[in-house]
Amino acid sequence: GKVLVFPMEGSHWLSIRDVVRELHARGHQAVVLAPEVTVHIKEEDFFTLQTYPVPYTKEEYRHHLLGHLQNFFETEFSLKLVLQTMAAVNNVSTFYVRSCRGLLHNTALIQSLNSSSFDVVLTDPFFPCGAVLAMYLRVPAVFFLQSMLCELEFEATNSPNPSSYIPRLLTLNSDHMSFLDRVKNMLYPVPWMYLCHVNYGSLARLASDLLQREVSVVEILRHASVWLLRKDFVFHYPRPFMPNMVFIGGINCANRKPLSQEFEAYVNASGEHGIVVFSLGSMVSEIPEKKAMEIAEALGRIPQTLLWRYTGTRPSNLAKNTILVKWLPQNDLLGHPKARAFITHSGSHGIYEGICNGVPMVMMPLFGDQMDNAKRMETRGAGVTLNVLEMTADDLENALKTVINNKSYKENIMRLSSLHKDRPIEPLDLAVFWVEYVMRHKGAPHLRPAAHDLTWYQYHSLDVIGFLLAIVLTVVFIVYKSCAYGCRKCFGGKGRVKKSHKSKTH
Amino acid sequence: DKLLVVPQDGSHWLSMKEIVEHLSERGHDIVVLVPEVNLLLGESKYYRRKSFPVPYNLEELRTRYRSFGNNHFAASSPLMAPLREYRNNMIVIDMCFFSCQSLLKDSATLSFLRENQFDALFTDPAMPCGVILAEYLKLPSIYLFRGFPCSLEHIGQSPSPVSYVPRFYTKFSDHMTFPQRLANFIANILENYLYHCLYSKYEILASDLLKRDVSLPALHQNSLWLLRYDFVFEYPRPVMPNMIFIGGTNCKKKGNLSQEFEAYVNASGEHGIVVFSLGSMVSEIPEKKAMEIAEALGRIPQTLLWRYTGTRPSNLAKNTILVKWLPQNDLLGHPKARAFITHSGSHGIYEGICNGVPMVMMPLFGDQMDNAKRMETRGAGVTLNVLEMTADDLENALKTVINNKSYKENIMRLSSLHKDRPIEPLDLAVFWVEYVMRHKGAPHLRPAAHDLTWYQYHSLDVIGFLLAIVLTVVFIVYKSCAYGCRKCFGGKGRVKKSHKSKTH
Repeated sequence: GKVLVFPMEGSHWLSIRDVVRELHARGHQAVVLAPEVTVHIKEEDFFTLQTYPVPYTKEEYRHHLLGHLQNFFETEFSLKLVLQTMAAVNNVSTFYVRSCRGLLHNTALIQSLNSSSFDVVLTDPFFPCGAVLAMYLRVPAVFFLQSMLCELEFEATNSPNPSSYIPRLLTLNSDHMSFLDRVKNMLYPVPWMYLCHVNYGSLARLASDLLQREVSVVEILRHASVWLLRKDFVFHYPRPFMPNMVFIGGINCANRKPLSQEFEAYVNASGEHGIVVFSLGSMVSEIPEKKAMEIAEALGRIPQTLLWRYTGTRPSNLAKNTILVKWLPQNDLLGHPKARAFITHSGSHGIYEGICNGVPMVMMPLFGDQMDNAKRMETRGAGVTLNVLEMTADDLENALKTVINNKSYKENIMRLSSLHKDRPIEPLDLAVFWVEYVMRHKGAPHLRPAAHDLTWYQYHSLDVIGFLLAIVLTVVFIVYKSCAYGCRKCFGGKGRVKKSHKSKTH
Repeated sequence: DKLLVVPQDGSHWLSMKEIVEHLSERGHDIVVLVPEVNLLLGESKYYRRKSFPVPYNLEELRTRYRSFGNNHFAASSPLMAPLREYRNNMIVIDMCFFSCQSLLKDSATLSFLRENQFDALFTDPAMPCGVILAEYLKLPSIYLFRGFPCSLEHIGQSPSPVSYVPRFYTKFSDHMTFPQRLANFIANILENYLYHCLYSKYEILASDLLKRDVSLPALHQNSLWLLRYDFVFEYPRPVMPNMIFIGGTNCKKKGNLSQEFEAYVNASGEHGIVVFSLGSMVSEIPEKKAMEIAEALGRIPQTLLWRYTGTRPSNLAKNTILVKWLPQNDLLGHPKARAFITHSGSHGIYEGICNGVPMVMMPLFGDQMDNAKRMETRGAGVTLNVLEMTADDLENALKTVINNKSYKENIMRLSSLHKDRPIEPLDLAVFWVEYVMRHKGAPHLRPAAHDLTWYQYHSLDVIGFLLAIVLTVVFIVYKSCAYGCRKCFGGKGRVKKSHKSKTH
């Protein structure tokens, strides 16, 4: 079949890419649609890249997308961080709206896409421009994502989402919350709701213009036949979901290759102490000098060989055991038996690679869901979290020594790893199955819950409850009145005496 | 690994048996705990049986099942129907309770179970003897269930909004009108009452055995649920990570027809065959009804294979062959199968979907009415009321599903969706039973919701707290404003006040 892929930029692209490769291997044709200006999406031999012009330059884009990351090394954990995250998201999504408008108003391109008659649109709906396109082209869609802002994936699928045991973004709550935690859990999403309203509102207007009817962002998202979610309940807390949600967390773990000569040499030279893999992800290119030196100092104090993915200036105090590289095969290195620990920003990809390969972690969360991810691994005893702003060289040294030498960390991560890897079907195969399923059956309407056709008060049966309450109250009222009437008749005198007595005292 | 199986006698056992046999083939050591008097829990090369004494004999068991089956054909007013259904079900359910009671008081069996170090317990929670035993033996457990009676898998853990999830016995679809939603709301309350009627005595039994207060929902929470659902047939609704959907396990295995049945099918010619079975619970149909059915069957050109153990109706036509037993799935899988007359038990429905055979449904009890309704709304079958139907009704229904192409098309569409899955349901069931044995349970799939009270779950305490804060702030602001106003416009305020008191 013919698959139109509309990915998100950044690390999101990396795992959807594996699915595209597998679809290609199974004989499907994939067209990847991306803006002219991208950071990660490049032409490859297993898909056709179709670009569209956007009204900004690469410099502008880089500056806005990556610029704000610098802030995360300079701001305290707190409400300020929340505000900063919100500002960053706002900033990025302005770009996405511009890019999306550029695409949807590109009549020539849309026409050519329409005439290629795709069987399915595979898209990351973090910013659901691909979903609007799928709606417009009248092609069924499969969503592929880790999570959405404001937990829209649950609102859109009509999954119940009780705030009493499902921790919200950035609250650092676990699934067992005290009363005050639960208060926090209820209040934290409020500012996000405003942000989502603003951000997705402009997309909804764009979509309404295009489709010539009023659509909300939730309706756009409901176009999805199947949601492929990069979550696994070994790592995420158990929660309700809907039958059209498929969990494929750990999809990026399957893809392991032998190490290149360069890295093989590093690993072999590490001796009995083994290696530690250190990466803060593809989005962080530079760390403030002072912080970098502190980190370098701590790394020098442990006996392991360190492989540090870092593109910034080389810290002057870098020890001999630390090797700076511009890029490293993270999953392959973690899969090596000599991997002793993993220093990570705890993005979801890294966490899943750590779990999959059973490597205990030292986590330095920077933004978004990373704090929550780190918290989860910490409560499971599989890693130590550091505050990247406050930590000293000693803190990092101690954290590393703890996860490497304290057996319990290794045991816990190995337990998680064995649970995570024990599944009836590989996540990549599952993802490919569902994409093909939607192609074969032209969607999956039988998985669409009837809840989508109810208003919110109907969904919660408030009209039914109100009606029953009205009946009960009417009956009570009538019974009361008749009793009162009966009483007056029977004990007429008394009643009247009481009444007159009452009026006297008044 | 060693697996203890605590089954439920009757048709529930049929799907569990298949999983148990598959597990045994994979080298697990399996002990099936059976009441010494039973219907279908026979010997097998796949497992060892451990029987325990029960306070009834085979005669009584058979009598109870027979009267249970036959009562479905007794006429009653629609108002009395629920009560009759309840009483009728209790004929069998009571016996299950007696059996459980005697098991949990049989110290010899209990000590046998304690001494055998099992790795896990596999049970049907509809009658919760196995549920209690798992707790008693401290074993991780796996349940096999089909949501009836009471949607046990939803009680206390998984949301199931009454606004679009139809309750049993309502015969509603997932799209309900206001009066239907009202009825569904009330049905939900009644379901809670039914739950109480059915299970509170088991809770007493469990409390005696475990020497502490036991609530069954609390025991349910620690288990993994293999649910015989498929969303091709069921309506989509919220689910939890510890629910595994394996509807249609009984479809996969397909044998060759025996010579006898092969001969019948081949002799049917171009018209093909119709398979007719009212399930293992119905042995006899009242004579008048049976004759009416026989008459209708005689009027269609297909060959009829009717599984029936009662007296042969005198007017049985030549095209109808009575058999004591038939290989239902294999017959339905034959390309000559044109229609399936069924009581619409879930097994039969899944076999019909799997093999793509349109159905004429005569629901008798339990979930069968709802099953029939679901297939009817999907245009894959016609429902008949077994009490009221005439020979003409049955004839017309059969002709409709056989000759009207849309029925065949609809069931084929359902069939292709149903069979298109990433992994066979039987393999999935086996995987998860082994998973629980390997990992000694699946505690990471247990939602934290179980540790909350109902008002915490719905955040009523948090909402109350926030409301109290808001009201306090509003009150303080109002009071200070009022005070401020009085200060500023002192005269006016006082005038107003005195004015007010005057009119009073």
